[in-house]
Amino acid sequence: MHTERFERVKKSTNLHFTMEADEALRKIEDFPSNPGAMGYFYDLFRSVYANGGSLTHKGTIIGTMCVQVPEELILAAGAVPFRLCNGAHAFDQAGAEFMPAKACSLARATVGMLHINRSVHKERLGMVVVPATCDQKRKAGELLREMGYNVYILEVPSSKNSEEARHYWQNSVKRFTAELQHLTGRKITKKSLGTAINLTNEARRQFRRLYNFRKISPPVVYGKDALLVSNAYFFDDKERWLQALTDLNNELELKALKGESVGNRHAPRILFTGSPPVFPHLKIPLLLEQSGAIVAADEVCSSTRMLYDAVAYDESALYDMIPSVADRYLKPCTCPFLVLNDDRRRRLKDMAGQFAIDGIVYQIFSGCHLYEMEQRTIAKTFADSGIPLLFLETDYSQEDTGQLSTRIEAFLESIKARKRRK
Amino acid sequence: MKRLRQAINNSDISRFRFHFQLFAFGLLIYGGYLAIDFGSNYIPAFACPFVETRGGTCYLYPLQHQLNMPLSQLFSGRGIGLLTGFITFLLMFVLFNKAWCGFACPLGTVQDWITKLRNRFGIRYSTYSETVFSRQKNIKYVLLALLLLLSLGMSNSLFGMQKLSGDFSTSYCMICPGRTVLPLFTGDMSQLVIDFSSKTKTVLTGLGMAVTGLFFTGAFVKKRFFCLLCPMSALQYIFSKAGLLRLKKDGMKCTRCGNCYRVCDVGIREIADDLESTMIVQDDCMMCLKCVSACPEEGCLKATFLGLPVYEATEQGFFKRMGGRS
Repeated sequence: MHTERFERVKKSTNLHFTMEADEALRKIEDFPSNPGAMGYFYDLFRSVYANGGSLTHKGTIIGTMCVQVPEELILAAGAVPFRLCNGAHAFDQAGAEFMPAKACSLARATVGMLHINRSVHKERLGMVVVPATCDQKRKAGELLREMGYNVYILEVPSSKNSEEARHYWQNSVKRFTAELQHLTGRKITKKSLGTAINLTNEARRQFRRLYNFRKISPPVVYGKDALLVSNAYFFDDKERWLQALTDLNNELELKALKGESVGNRHAPRILFTGSPPVFPHLKIPLLLEQSGAIVAADEVCSSTRMLYDAVAYDESALYDMIPSVADRYLKPCTCPFLVLNDDRRRRLKDMAGQFAIDGIVYQIFSGCHLYEMEQRTIAKTFADSGIPLLFLETDYSQEDTGQLSTRIEAFLESIKARKRRK
Repeated sequence: MKRLRQAINNSDISRFRFHFQLFAFGLLIYGGYLAIDFGSNYIPAFACPFVETRGGTCYLYPLQHQLNMPLSQLFSGRGIGLLTGFITFLLMFVLFNKAWCGFACPLGTVQDWITKLRNRFGIRYSTYSETVFSRQKNIKYVLLALLLLLSLGMSNSLFGMQKLSGDFSTSYCMICPGRTVLPLFTGDMSQLVIDFSSKTKTVLTGLGMAVTGLFFTGAFVKKRFFCLLCPMSALQYIFSKAGLLRLKKDGMKCTRCGNCYRVCDVGIREIADDLESTMIVQDDCMMCLKCVSACPEEGCLKATFLGLPVYEATEQGFFKRMGGRS
């Protein structure tokens, strides 16, 4: 009886999810002059999400619950990193069975997805790595363990400012390395880790190319496309993704040379920050761009924070490379789970200058206290420099779309009026 | 010009440094064979006077000799020798700042070779904890003060003490590993002895032998082990702000990613975490510029000479260097 009911819920949830993904893709594609090379990414999402986000990779798949998991080590151990952070309302609802109504949509949707599709995921995921970052992720990890997943809790310091914190994290990563090798049965060597670092650094190099194209005004690429590209990095085969992004960058380079642009020349340039937009929940970036703005830059863990920084190591030996990889995940991190997070404020300020930003949009998921509590400091920082900030609390449902779009339009109007006055 | 600058910024400074060090080592250790005496007595690097075939001499040696005079003569003709020596040293130093340590000092070069050897064996390096690092910063200043005081103490009675015996002549050199290690490269083992002719000499040369042992073991496990204790480094740092070659940081551009700190041989944390200072050379810095080559932010770190950028951090350069590895 119980299983029958579950099967029914599973079927309807996955159906709703597919509809949701379809709807989001339709909206994303419904813009004039999409770059040809974006076709790969549109098709990728369509093919993957049409069958419920399937895990088609060969080899051991390591699910990651947060951007803090060092993927170089997973790749070097011969496994495939797969970021599980989920953006679907359908799964958010399924997760409501496990997590409180006031929990963040992202954690709840991830738990919901792993609950609904547990038959496939339990079999295919060799391990689910949950960094002990924010409360939501920590407790989600416990829930997943109860569900029967092989959960690995990756301990993370709550501050990055002391050397002790850094060493604690390096040791935590060392333990994780041992666990990975144990799971895959493959030893990480300086050669395999070197290859993995080269691959991910190359991905970051290409990501930075895209990032730099977004600085151009009038804009050559929409933020929704850039976000989709980085979202694809969650699950796509890294080499294929790299090739597709290289193609996109080459196309954008040509476009920029020819002076072609997208959208309105005077479109307000928005810096997007706060809780991460994850496909299909690209609601706010889409509303912004549908209303004539450009999401010129983002400071979120589903995009820039995930792919901006690269690993640098000194000696080609594991004793130096593994701590170097660890440092890459802690030192530049600007996630609000870290205490004394001045770096985020500095980073946003720097980006606002570099990308000629007209306004900041700050998304928080209801229940994400950390982002919510940092909002005041960030708002104050930009009030001083005269850049308006719009704070939007939302979740994965579409119910607030009307209200959000009214607020966004009013915000954009005020920016335009301000620009005209200048 | 733009293309040349790009080529330089894309280049691998460590490779250049390796070859330059080799050249400088040859010049300072074997220069005498070619009758080269580069700057005679006042090189701001450990160009050791105990190497017969040297092409230049470390300034600490003449400094100790020149200080061996009664204070009353300081402002007489003898003072001129001290003054010209000091000015010569300063002029040479100001040109390249602490890059003398990273690019020219033969003792530094030997340590880099030992590091390469350790890396070849796949043996891990060790690092100091922050407290040890900050405490031992002071040792080199203590050594510098001793070096000056002991030299003065031979001709003057300091702090009401008796004048020191002449055996304290060039006392620092007696414990410096440069004296014992560098002559080995010319096949001269004569410095590897303990001189029992007097108590002072026995102690000093005995210490020297111990330091030599420490030098080899230390350099094998810790990159640039001895540089953190070197009084020349302390003497240089006092005048570092006047250097024409500078290492600059633009804190606004820094993301605190820590790559620079990651690759720093001496372990200077300020390079990553100090966002205020624009002149970022610290007392242990040897201006090897590895930090610049590991920085992916355009123009965040740069070496400048007379205000002109010589070597600058670029995104392109960073990814080029890192991509060419493994």
